[in-house]
Amino acid sequence: MRENSRSHKAQVVIDRMGKKLSRQMVGSLVGCVHCGLCTDSCHYVLANPEDPTFAPAYKADRIRRIFKHHYDWTGRFFPWWVKAGTVLTDAELEELKDIAFGKCTNCRRCSLNCPMGVDFATVNRMARGLLVSVGVMPEGVAHVSKDQWEIGNQMGVLKEDYLETLEWMSEELQDEVEDPAAVIPVDQHGCEVVYAINPREVKYDPRSIADAAKIFWAAGEDWTMASEGWDMTNFGLFSGDDDLGGAVARRLYEKVEELGGKRLVISECGHGFRSTRCEGPNWAKYDVGFRMESSIDTMLRYIAEGRIEVDKSRNSLPVTYHDSCNMARSCGVTEEPRELLRQVCADFREMHPNRAENFCCTGGGGAMSMSEYTAQRLTSAKVKAEQLRETGAAVVVTSCHNCVDGLTDLIRHYKLDMKVTQLVNLVAEALVIEERIPAVPAVEVAEVAVLTGRKIVVADDEPDQVIYLKSVLEDHGAEVHTAEDGDAALELSKRLKPDLLTLDLAMPGREVTEIFDILRGQSDLADLKICIITGRPEMRKLIYERMDAPPDGYLDKPVEEEELILAVRKILEIKVH
Amino acid sequence: MADFVVGDITLDIDEDGFIQQPEAWNEAIAKALAKTEGVDELTEAHWKVVNYLRDYYLEFGIAPMIRKLCKSTGFKLKEIYELFPSGPAKGACKVAGLPKPTGCV
Repeated sequence: MRENSRSHKAQVVIDRMGKKLSRQMVGSLVGCVHCGLCTDSCHYVLANPEDPTFAPAYKADRIRRIFKHHYDWTGRFFPWWVKAGTVLTDAELEELKDIAFGKCTNCRRCSLNCPMGVDFATVNRMARGLLVSVGVMPEGVAHVSKDQWEIGNQMGVLKEDYLETLEWMSEELQDEVEDPAAVIPVDQHGCEVVYAINPREVKYDPRSIADAAKIFWAAGEDWTMASEGWDMTNFGLFSGDDDLGGAVARRLYEKVEELGGKRLVISECGHGFRSTRCEGPNWAKYDVGFRMESSIDTMLRYIAEGRIEVDKSRNSLPVTYHDSCNMARSCGVTEEPRELLRQVCADFREMHPNRAENFCCTGGGGAMSMSEYTAQRLTSAKVKAEQLRETGAAVVVTSCHNCVDGLTDLIRHYKLDMKVTQLVNLVAEALVIEERIPAVPAVEVAEVAVLTGRKIVVADDEPDQVIYLKSVLEDHGAEVHTAEDGDAALELSKRLKPDLLTLDLAMPGREVTEIFDILRGQSDLADLKICIITGRPEMRKLIYERMDAPPDGYLDKPVEEEELILAVRKILEIKVH
Repeated sequence: MADFVVGDITLDIDEDGFIQQPEAWNEAIAKALAKTEGVDELTEAHWKVVNYLRDYYLEFGIAPMIRKLCKSTGFKLKEIYELFPSGPAKGACKVAGLPKPTGCV
């Protein structure tokens, strides 16, 4: 199908598109019925209602037409109907670049609101990747990607400068808490926690490093930072370059393994968390043998376990929370930051819409590094500015560095009187150091039993597990029934119609996958939520690669109390007020 | 790309307000850039920071680490933020005529 008049770059883009066409991708390329629901969900459209070229369906069509022309039979038979088309010139690639990088932050709000399940952000990321593979990309993205490939972090920070900064922050911390033992450990082996950060923290604003160190110190944590492989950001997510994504993630994973760390804690960064925790293992094809969590979870755990004490009156200004797209929409981290905020702020108020429906900070998807689109970005930030203004808050908190910059920029542009900060700063501010209480076992008694009135069936063949899960769930108010194998779980589910079934994947008797199919096929159990709890993560795909609806939740053993309750609350959509 | 006019000099600035010809920078331009950053008057302390950033950039072609800036000027991190409310990356570097820092900032 090569046409002589086509530029070399255009030909490469077309050829490489064929290699990106997974089932998921094709589903998003063919699934659009142009119903227009995405239009109302995109902040670019809402801020520029007179310009139809911002509509997600329109943007997707610019990419879709190439797929139809070259890879889809409909484009061969009736191209005029399916609007198939090709690309011939470099100028056309530049136009595509202005859409893929300039008119979308890959925030996925349209994906979430698409009734056909079209994930435009995935298609857009593919387009970015194809363009990047022929060198068509914003200069800022090229620069950062190069530093991440060559120097190992996105801001080209050299090792000695990094180490010197950590030393400096150690000194500041020692001065502040008057404890010579308060240091930031580097390359310690066998620690509970390896802490990874965003390079901007070390290059321009290390106050967040000092704050995190203060919290680790106060909690008596056995922690370390790594001298190399410490950048948890990943421009592979933004540029669509899976090879870069894999290389960056692998560097982190290998360093944690080398240090024998038990847990990788990721500082507050939306795309960094998603890249490291969710996408990285796939890009890098790496079997990660340690836990990975956001520092939000870590801080919340310290409070729940009584390892740190906080005084919310120290943060008295009215605070609102901005959900980062990658954290909330893509990774489901919505309740944890709120729970933490309620502990460390006196006046927390919601922004609307919120959680997975929140609007992008407008600086997502690497937009902050693309100056060429700044004017357009700030115009489109009108929606966000209104949302912020309506909260009446003086401080907006976010768990993402990109959001910090995106919000700061738009706050200045729209002259809002607000400050932007992160949870780590608020928690450090609220820390009560003098009257620190010694660590006590994690017996968390919820003020109001959150699971009151909920019926849960726990299916597991290990008696210890059953007792553990049952007692934790009962402590939180649930009515719990237990089953030792799949058939018993099936029978109980049919008879009791519980709200939730927790299912172990390896139990005696009939295969659990078969039970799962039956449960999903029962029309009278359509409302039953299922959460897999297993010690055998390799069996995960047996469940996920089925025709049935996927499970509503998934937890790896061992499950900590807090993690279990949060998961159950999320599945049953129970909010704590 | 927009024009930024200071006296009889016209400079290109990018969409984020960073000048594109670092070699054309002078004190009058610094003062004008400072105004865009909400710094109405450049004190001796401001100049100390700006001059350090400028010299470092001319020598190495990049912005220095905040550590180097604090160490060489003797200012505490907090003081830098007091001098330039938008921070060293966006505020101080802009006034010193450096290009926009790369990456997530």
